[in-house]
Amino acid sequence: MQLEVDRLCKIYKGTRGLRATDFTVEKGELIAVVGHNGAGKSTLLKMIAGWLVPDNGRVRVDGIDLGDRRALVRKIGFVPETPNLFDFFSVEYNLVLFGRLFQVASSRIEETLQEFNLLPFRHSKVQTLSKGLKQRVSIARSLLADAPLLLLDEPTSGLDFEMTREIYLSLGKIHASGKTILFTSHRPEEIKSLATRIMVLHQGSLVFDGQPSEYFTSNIHQTLYS
Amino acid sequence: MIRNIAILIANDLAIAFKNKTLYLVLFIPLFVFVVLQLVDGNRLDAQKIKIGLIEHAQYTPALLQSLRSADRVFTISWFTDQADAQRWLKEKNGDGVLIPSAGQADSFTLIVLAKASFQTLAIVEGVSELQRMLEGKSKSWISEIRSLQEDGIQQQMLPTWILMLVLLVGFIVLPAQVAEEKEKKLLLGLLQTPISEVEWLLAKVALGMILIAVAAALLQLMAGVDFDLVSGWSYFAFLMIGGFCFSAFGILVGFLCQTQASARTLGVLFYLPHLLPSALSDFSQELTKVAPLIPSYPFYEPVKSILLEGAGLFEFPVQWLALFGIGVFTLFVSHRLMKKRWLM
Repeated sequence: MQLEVDRLCKIYKGTRGLRATDFTVEKGELIAVVGHNGAGKSTLLKMIAGWLVPDNGRVRVDGIDLGDRRALVRKIGFVPETPNLFDFFSVEYNLVLFGRLFQVASSRIEETLQEFNLLPFRHSKVQTLSKGLKQRVSIARSLLADAPLLLLDEPTSGLDFEMTREIYLSLGKIHASGKTILFTSHRPEEIKSLATRIMVLHQGSLVFDGQPSEYFTSNIHQTLYS
Repeated sequence: MIRNIAILIANDLAIAFKNKTLYLVLFIPLFVFVVLQLVDGNRLDAQKIKIGLIEHAQYTPALLQSLRSADRVFTISWFTDQADAQRWLKEKNGDGVLIPSAGQADSFTLIVLAKASFQTLAIVEGVSELQRMLEGKSKSWISEIRSLQEDGIQQQMLPTWILMLVLLVGFIVLPAQVAEEKEKKLLLGLLQTPISEVEWLLAKVALGMILIAVAAALLQLMAGVDFDLVSGWSYFAFLMIGGFCFSAFGILVGFLCQTQASARTLGVLFYLPHLLPSALSDFSQELTKVAPLIPSYPFYEPVKSILLEGAGLFEFPVQWLALFGIGVFTLFVSHRLMKKRWLM
């Protein structure tokens, strides 16, 4: 799996958004995209996921262009900041619906429920679940079609310490299974031990792209977070 | 306390403004005012009554003389036979046709589209007035009133109920549902699967058509209306093409809104102007002129003719095409908005 982002750009009302950005992601990387609110992290992920139409630039996953959405959705799983589940239906219903649209075998639903420890909640309506559990369902749903690239927008936003730890453990496991992961966070300390690469966005521009060890000793971290 | 209440009221007003609810408050009185202006009111008196007579029929000289002399009130059109005159009436070119009653001298049958209409009332009043002036009190010239449309207020109201139902699904139910899917990002979630935008749109249109078909079937069952085979199929076909048109239109209305609240408001803004001019066109000649400009009219008029006059589907090719065209156009615009992820 290879993700290529080339001159990708989206500007809202003249200032905010993401300025032309280039980078490449190789298979098996676990990348944390960090930056303050409004830095362009969510805009970047939403454009890769096809939620936003870029003003300019291109995205390709394994050579498949963003324009070929129906082929691309099998390559990318996207977990938005606020889980967008059919919350008046059960956990199982949500998984079955997406499983059918992806034409996966019904046994895959059982595997996913088991893999994400969702079996006790399979008949629970999503609206009755905690935010952490909803996030878990959302991640499970995004991996139903076994997409090699997983994008997560602020996966721990609004979660307590325990839930945050649980989500990061899940990400570690998913990464260990061979998936490539790109997730956003505005709390770099949290992902120190998790990420294999850190990208820093500041006011819509990519200002750092490198190893976590380099980042935490760099001036950028001091300047942005001190 | 009063300060807090004032702050909350200001906040509620801001929300109402944001949700376009305030537009509704302004729009409804404005719309009712315009409709009231278009309902004929006093101008009825000034309009001439168009009456049809049959060339070789036996009319009393007194009747003919009275009608001719009252040329400020009546316009007479002559027809070779009754079928010709009835066609003229069905095409809404005239208000009524007078034919001699069988076996009764000085007695006439008035044929009208619907008995309960202002045209019928105007003809009966006008002819009675002429007779009073000429003969004083005597037996009325008009001994019978025959309607081309089936009688019964339930039957007469059915096309209006059907129109209400189709527009309700189109402009109230579907926009709210589309906006909800946008607001909760459910649509974007669905677009993370291999479905295409066209598939999603067609599914929504199909949903609208199914809801309309089920509701119309229930209405039909409860009203106890029977159809012959041709009328039944014609009615079903028009219901479906109307369902297609207004479901597609409703989806577009949903796409124009970011939230459910604004979709409900915008839905009402579309619902009333589509419902009232068509539904009230039977009661106002002014509205009859305006109503054809509104997309609901090519649906309402054929359905009314099919239900009340036994007309068939193939008598309305232009209306059928117009509804199909509006449906396809609105679906196309929705598709473009969806591709651009507009307000999503």
